[in-house]
Amino acid sequence: MTEVAYIPPAPKPKGIPAWAQHLIVFVAFITIWELAVSNQWVSALILPSPFAVAAAWWDLAIVKALLWDDFAITLTEVILGFAVGAAFGTTMAVLSAIQPTFRRLVSPYMVALQVTPRIAVAPIIVAWLGFGMEPKIAIAAIICFFPIFINTLTGLMQVDEDRMEMFTSMRATRWQVFRHLQLPGAMPVIMAGFKTGISLALIGAIVGEFVSASIGLGLMIQRFSYQLLLAEAFAVLIMLTVMGLLLYGAAALADRYVVFWKHDTLLASISARLRARYADLLTGSRAQARPAE
Amino acid sequence: MHRTEVVSGAKVGMTFPGPVIALEDATFTIGKGQFVSLIGPSGCGKSTLLRIVAGLISPTGGQLKTFGAPMVAPRPEIGMMFQRATLLEWKSVLDNVLLPNTLAGSVTKADRVRAIDLLHLVGLQGFEFAFPRQLSGGMQQRVALARLLNTGAELLLLDEPFGALDEFTRERLNLELMRIQSQVNATIMFVTHNIQEAVFLADRVFVMTPRPGRLAAEVTVDLPRPRTIELMKTTEFNDTMFRIRDILGGFI
Repeated sequence: MTEVAYIPPAPKPKGIPAWAQHLIVFVAFITIWELAVSNQWVSALILPSPFAVAAAWWDLAIVKALLWDDFAITLTEVILGFAVGAAFGTTMAVLSAIQPTFRRLVSPYMVALQVTPRIAVAPIIVAWLGFGMEPKIAIAAIICFFPIFINTLTGLMQVDEDRMEMFTSMRATRWQVFRHLQLPGAMPVIMAGFKTGISLALIGAIVGEFVSASIGLGLMIQRFSYQLLLAEAFAVLIMLTVMGLLLYGAAALADRYVVFWKHDTLLASISARLRARYADLLTGSRAQARPAE
Repeated sequence: MHRTEVVSGAKVGMTFPGPVIALEDATFTIGKGQFVSLIGPSGCGKSTLLRIVAGLISPTGGQLKTFGAPMVAPRPEIGMMFQRATLLEWKSVLDNVLLPNTLAGSVTKADRVRAIDLLHLVGLQGFEFAFPRQLSGGMQQRVALARLLNTGAELLLLDEPFGALDEFTRERLNLELMRIQSQVNATIMFVTHNIQEAVFLADRVFVMTPRPGRLAAEVTVDLPRPRTIELMKTTEFNDTMFRIRDILGGFI
């Protein structure tokens, strides 16, 4: 007798809500960390306990109100570095996409830039630009430039052939093809490049601060580590994680609104808004259409 | 009465580097308001011929005239539609239909009203402000058809426009295409590899054979209009279908 293969449907998560599941995992993680330290599976000198980290953060950030200036400086470096990197990356990509000669001439340098470990230029940049924010901005820009450049170029180059023929058959100009087909079509890939770029800009700013700085979270984490104040170093690390999440969240939010057509919930509300705006057209059209029928 | 010639080809040929002879010595004329189906197996040059007529590629041999003038570049009187709807996902259905106006430089209220009328003509009431990804394949092709009609083109080139759709949707859209053609009096060249569809729609069927791509024969479909699905049951319809099948015989 043969049995018919039956694949049961995946069970729906039931009972415990999603947020509670995340909370359980988080509490378990903290508990294991705490146990590992308090039972001396790991030396507290190497890995401070989660409570020591929390206490250090409270002391530094709230009681002494120390880390916020560093936070602001590092964040500024990241944002400006990203802005510069994104501006250069997209400009070079657009020029490469519309000018084959330009693309051919710059591509070896782009490959060279890609294979060079870009953080290795950090000391050189510091030597050039000194000890202020400028070298950190420059390093952040250099590091985030590449994924933005390559994504923008890839996005602009991958034009659907049928759509291209349609535009040609409608006698569209080159600028119209760029404006109405290439650029919007590339936006999902470009935004993905921005999301990668913003995380890399943070790395760039921190590396710059490691090389030389008088202020910034990178400097603080380095200073605390050298003094073996690891709880304090971890407290700074948490600030950096928060910053990374904020930056990524901002990029993801921008992505959602720029590439709105990939999100069904947004489309529904945009449709409703358009329908309201052009309500008179619909009635006008019907009034005209009726006598023809 | 003599019909105006919309398309005429004299020994039109297309050889791609390789060399691959995609089309050889195609000689034909198409009069205003005619519905011509182009049928044949893959590689018979039917899409190549369509692209030459569209002005997307230049023939390597012979001469092709549209509206009495040699073809050098795409013309506003000629519009094209593809197997894929080629809609712009980031534009609403209405804005997709308005693309020809956008490219012409401006979109007026009158343009919008006209585009909405066209959407109603192709049966898309209530979807004017939807976005392509919210539509089924059949509805997307209806949008593409409305956009094509909005170009104001008098010669419509359709490259297997309903080839990717299911049988029922395709049948319905074919009926609507005929209804719309009779309303706007367009000349249509319709590429397909479905014999039934080719006969059902057309006044004339160009039967094409591959290697090299040739216009092997022309079959006139002398069946009354307007046509309904019932027509497919008649012996005249089936005789025409089998005449085409016999011509293609060795090539399928």
